[in-house]
Amino acid sequence: MHMVRAAETAPTAYPWIVHADGLQVKAGTHLAVDGLDLALGTGVHALLGPNGAGKTTLMRALATVVRPAGGTLTVLGAPVHGRAELRRVRRALGYLPQHFGFYPRFTVREFVEYVAWLKEMPRSEVPAAVQRAIDRVGLTAKADTRMKTLSGGMLRRAGIAQAIVNDPELLLLDEPTVGLDPEQRLDFRELLRDLGVDSCVLVSTHLVEDVVAACTDVVLLNEGRLVHRGATASLIAEGGSSDAGDSPAERGYSALLRRHRAEAGR
Amino acid sequence: MSRILRIELRRSAALWAGLILLLAGVVMCYVGPQRWSSGWMALAMIEREYLMLMAPLALAAGAWQSRRESRAGLSELLESTPRPRLQRVLPVLGALGLAVIGGYLAVLAVTAPWIAGTARYLPAAAFAVVTVGALTVAAAAWLGVAVGRLWPSIAAGPVLACAGIGWLMGFPAAIRGQQWLGMLFSPMYGMSRFSDYETVSGRLTAAQTVWLVALVVAVYILHGVEGRRARLAASLPLVLGVAVAITVVPHDRSVAHAIDPVARELVCTTDAPKVCVARVHSALLPEVTPQARQALALLARLPQPPAEAYEDTTTTWGSGVPELGPDPAGVALMTITVDDRGHLAFPNDLVPRIVGRVLANVGRCPGGLDSSVLRAATYWLVGTEPPDEPRVDDDRRNDHVRQLWQGLLKLPEARALARVAAVREGALRCADLEGMLSDT
Repeated sequence: MHMVRAAETAPTAYPWIVHADGLQVKAGTHLAVDGLDLALGTGVHALLGPNGAGKTTLMRALATVVRPAGGTLTVLGAPVHGRAELRRVRRALGYLPQHFGFYPRFTVREFVEYVAWLKEMPRSEVPAAVQRAIDRVGLTAKADTRMKTLSGGMLRRAGIAQAIVNDPELLLLDEPTVGLDPEQRLDFRELLRDLGVDSCVLVSTHLVEDVVAACTDVVLLNEGRLVHRGATASLIAEGGSSDAGDSPAERGYSALLRRHRAEAGR
Repeated sequence: MSRILRIELRRSAALWAGLILLLAGVVMCYVGPQRWSSGWMALAMIEREYLMLMAPLALAAGAWQSRRESRAGLSELLESTPRPRLQRVLPVLGALGLAVIGGYLAVLAVTAPWIAGTARYLPAAAFAVVTVGALTVAAAAWLGVAVGRLWPSIAAGPVLACAGIGWLMGFPAAIRGQQWLGMLFSPMYGMSRFSDYETVSGRLTAAQTVWLVALVVAVYILHGVEGRRARLAASLPLVLGVAVAITVVPHDRSVAHAIDPVARELVCTTDAPKVCVARVHSALLPEVTPQARQALALLARLPQPPAEAYEDTTTTWGSGVPELGPDPAGVALMTITVDDRGHLAFPNDLVPRIVGRVLANVGRCPGGLDSSVLRAATYWLVGTEPPDEPRVDDDRRNDHVRQLWQGLLKLPEARALARVAAVREGALRCADLEGMLSDT
């Protein structure tokens, strides 16, 4: 059973879990996120966009791994360029990077426990939290298996387990469904809906069906700028029968991008 | 932390590193057990000498462990976690440090039973010698991790190991004139023993502890910082430690092969005739006493015989080498050597050696004495045929000794004894002994 901590029921002093204003973030020397305004609260938010749109760079900035080059970014009420509150913010973060690294000799349980320790969770809560995280991603039977023996899909789920072990207030999942088979993706959508009830989940993905099924709203990026922001239904509404795609959501995605590119080209 | 430390102990290279150190140490120790069988201090010092292999292995293990971080690609995730870098590295460094220290100490656990029955004297300095050794392997492993982090290559381990051997053995050789400096910075150097009474200077141990601890601190801080300037700043404790160590260590020859006066003190039988051995050999007293007393009884047939037998504790190396002179009157001196099991070496040879030394008045005559005559006289007193002299291939010389001995046997006992007494008398005067045993 999940114990409710005092911190979870305490009222938050900030209106948004993520708040970006004119945010600029560099990837190397290139400005991959350029003047982004964004506010996210609880719920499951899909981060869509073509390759090179700046999704991963935005994720990294939100994960406090890279510092913004300009604008302001406030995560959980604290500016990410200030060192003072960074530690508190990081305790409440969950992050699955696009390229998920792991120690191959660790078992799943050991690895998740290690991340729990890195996130400075109270020692007494760790074993139960680790078990719960592993159970939630459906790796219970593989909990004591070495990471190096896991398949791609299992590794991705282990990556999700480490990201959610501390019941993060802000959960960042960069392409979490890569390598998952259709059945696992269904379970994952279920998990996403569950997680989005009391935390802010930002999921970067190319799979538009996942978005429709599990996300409350959509953030569409292109070339570092916000193209569209709205409920999942608004994405579907944008698409017409002439737009490319096999589903209403895909057609909406194509339509929005095509229109944005046309405007930018003008 | 303790749970994570346990995970790291299980999953990192730590246990393997400890096992490899243990194996290397045990193999080297058992290649030549006579080097350390004489006592606890000998064991502690000889294991320190084998740092020549164990410290480079620890360095390589550290670099190997470091490869895990660079290969895993975990840094992205790590950078998003709140735990400060210095805390983050603690479990893996702790596991590695514990394992290599454990490996170093386990060598003692494997070798100690070998001499537990014969080693008595356990000076506090022996613990200090072991501590410096353990500190050295831990510092080496941590340094290996740090270097591996800055240079994440598969070559880092072997290169570091070679550099470690080069440092430990090459540095003292390069500064030959400054032995104290070589001993200070190469914790294996100067640990070869010339006598069983040797110890390691307390000031040397203190100085080594200072710079090794400073190295450990510097390497640890190095893990927590980024950038060239911060790394330079991290080396500050090391610079300070080295400076203090150089100030503390004695800058003269006394630092090498220091003698422990307590180890050299004589421990004697309570009953007469008195037989004494050095404290470090005290467990051998029951083995030595009957032999020494037998030798005294044989010598009693001569005029002015020695009444007591002492171990010769003069040393010919290191500090306080006495001038060679005649043995004290009234005492038969004997050199005690220990075999590879810690017992008296060549026990059947002790009686003739004691008798021979009394006859020859060792070390007094500048030109030397006729050894064939002395040998024949010795074995006549002992009452056995002179065996071939060890390391002498000259059959004529061995035959000559036996001829002289047979000549004595043919004589009436009183005459033979008079001749042997005359040989001893002649040796005292450094006279020419040739012909003193044969009829002319």
